[in-house]
Amino acid sequence: MTAVDWPLLPTCPTCGATVSPSASFCEACGGALVPTEPPPEPSLPAEPFSGQTQRLGSRASQATVCVSCGGPVGADGYCQLCGTKAPSARDHYREAPAGWVAGVCDRGQTHPSNEDAMALWAQADQAVLVVCDGVSTSTDSDVAAQAGAEAARDLLVERLTGSEPSIPDALVAAAAAANAAVIANTAEDSTNAASATFAAAVVSGSQLHFANLGDSRVYFLGESEGRLLSVDDSLAQAFIEGGVPRDEAEAMPRAHAITKWLGRDATDIVPRVGRLEVDQAGWLVVCSDGLWNYASAPEQLAAQLAATGSQDPSVAAAKLVEWANSQGGRDNITVAVARLRKPEADSQQSHSLEPADAAASTTEQEHAAHG
Amino acid sequence: MAEFTSAVFQNEFLPDGGTDVNAIVTIRCTGAGEAGRTGRGDAGEIVVVDISGSMGVTNMQAAKQAAMVALDNILDGTYFAVVAGNHKAYLAYPIVQTGAAMVRMDANTRAEAKRSISFFRAEGGTAMGTWLNLCRAVFDSIGNLGNKHVILLTDGENHNETPTQLDQAIRASIGKFQVDARGIGVDWKVAEIRKIAQALLGSVDIIGDPGRLSAEFASLMRNSMARGVANADLRVWIPQGAQVMFIRQVSPSVEDLTHRGVPVNQLTMSYPTGAWADEERDYHIAVRLAAKTVGQEQLAARVQLAVGAELLTQGLVKAKWSADTNLTAQINPEVAHYTGQAELAQVIQDGLAAKAAGDEATATTKLGRAVQLATETGNAEATAKLRKVVDISDARTGTVRLRKAVDKADEMALDTASTKTTRIRG
Repeated sequence: MTAVDWPLLPTCPTCGATVSPSASFCEACGGALVPTEPPPEPSLPAEPFSGQTQRLGSRASQATVCVSCGGPVGADGYCQLCGTKAPSARDHYREAPAGWVAGVCDRGQTHPSNEDAMALWAQADQAVLVVCDGVSTSTDSDVAAQAGAEAARDLLVERLTGSEPSIPDALVAAAAAANAAVIANTAEDSTNAASATFAAAVVSGSQLHFANLGDSRVYFLGESEGRLLSVDDSLAQAFIEGGVPRDEAEAMPRAHAITKWLGRDATDIVPRVGRLEVDQAGWLVVCSDGLWNYASAPEQLAAQLAATGSQDPSVAAAKLVEWANSQGGRDNITVAVARLRKPEADSQQSHSLEPADAAASTTEQEHAAHG
Repeated sequence: MAEFTSAVFQNEFLPDGGTDVNAIVTIRCTGAGEAGRTGRGDAGEIVVVDISGSMGVTNMQAAKQAAMVALDNILDGTYFAVVAGNHKAYLAYPIVQTGAAMVRMDANTRAEAKRSISFFRAEGGTAMGTWLNLCRAVFDSIGNLGNKHVILLTDGENHNETPTQLDQAIRASIGKFQVDARGIGVDWKVAEIRKIAQALLGSVDIIGDPGRLSAEFASLMRNSMARGVANADLRVWIPQGAQVMFIRQVSPSVEDLTHRGVPVNQLTMSYPTGAWADEERDYHIAVRLAAKTVGQEQLAARVQLAVGAELLTQGLVKAKWSADTNLTAQINPEVAHYTGQAELAQVIQDGLAAKAAGDEATATTKLGRAVQLATETGNAEATAKLRKVVDISDARTGTVRLRKAVDKADEMALDTASTKTTRIRG
């Protein structure tokens, strides 16, 4: 007997891992699932948080301390002092794969859910930072964006740790992988297909590669000079290229309409790719528009980063998110940062921007006229 | 073991700057069992019969019969006693001088108690505070009772006590036992008896026809025996800095609980709800919060039912601030319905009070509004009772005229029934 057809456990549509029929999330990739069976009777935790909560069911949030007042969070997911809803793991999460790389993804103040997503990785002097901003007017974007970011990161890590990687090629492939993951997380009958932006940065020693699609951004804020490396695929950018000043263009009514995205209805998923030779210490920032809405120009963002007063990426990212929230938090906010050191003396000359490979740069010119 | 479940009906969306959250929380009890038989203490029942001179032959005879029928409906094994009340209070049964003032019900004690009741003669005045004080002493003579319930029958005003004496007796009895009060004839005061029943978590009604008394007592006793949950509390938690605007029971009748709370901790108040049978009760919770920014969500109240220290169910009342007026402008139908029913109870009572004081203009306005509300909220019973007091020319606008000749009993029936509500759902 080789084939066993019963019991056949369902598999995760995102990563293919075997999942429990009653699961709402895949344990392997964290992707959302639609349970096909009711959950088993909840087993009571060995150490209940208190006698009263034990009877009333399982915990609704993993947070135990209120983000608003510091009070205890009840099993029902709300603060027991001030009643503030404790953020779900999707509403606010942090990653810090290494001491020099960290990120915070947050719902912000006004959006009902968090459709931003990020996926980070770091090892030795290499790092991968991916940010996807799910389009809130489409369905299931929160799940799709997370799956997309993780698919892109996983592919980049695989290529980066492989032999003789071509990182620009890998970035193009990562966007395609993210696109496939977004589509895999779109309901087949969805009339409003999930979609997301894509911004990725790969650090390998003093080499910084980046790619983007849509209006999530990659900045390098060096000690002496800050640069916005990515170029938005948005109406605002089209106006800027048409000669409208940046601050004016970004304030236009439909400035945030993006002209490229990932998803089932996307027509062009090849990202704009570039490379930077890092010659000075500084910060790599990959972020969604929830942050740069409040500090678009590199010097503005650098000032806010300096205002955090921290060299610790976890603290700096958290403080930038906090600041964006204090400015209104009108969109989801994702900030992924890496603290880059000045390279050793034997490395390259001055930092120079250059289009990386021919395929990517060609498409760059082709779609610049969108909108 | 009784099971409690809860459901919350509300529009959780608040506009920018909005502070007031209203919700109806329904609490349902199933599997309550029988009083005194759930392993949580014995049940105790006292039947109090008015033997004042005004009872006369007919009412006295009906009262004796009703008291006996009530005894028939007490489950065997339940502790019970019979109290006769006029300007004093007498322990009519069991016939004891010291020690326990209640005995367990069985065929023998039932027959003895009935014999004691058969000797009742109408004479003397009325001092209901004294009756309540005796009931308290009788219950206290048996420690550790779970359900403690009194059926109280009266026919007249509390002539032989000052209002203060009655109030003191009521206050001393709060939380000790529950009282269902019934008035026979038309010489008793609804407000006086309602005060007793409300404070002691019971009902009040008028028995216009002495012939109906036995059936009423039988049903009251059966209901009491079905209350397997002896004592439950409604607990309401509100966030730090928030304020309870009011808490009312709104079904099966309107009872304002706002000022009856006892603090459990800094943020939680406990409101007594008495004994529960298999039933549903609805509560209207109104809480005022500090406004948060659009997009924020917070808990406005945790509404829990507790038996002793044990929390058996919890309903969450939420607040979400939104800029979407389609969401924020809606009034939840349950909240609207019960807001109308609570106002209905108030305007009926105010209207009848104004009528009694001779202020016909106010009475007409208030009762007109009552007709309008009863019609809007589909409270047919209230509409029928209002019809006996006012002539309705337009129910929709509440245009009414006070009727010239009104049967006093009809007016009192409207008054006692004013707090009964209809439900919006099946």
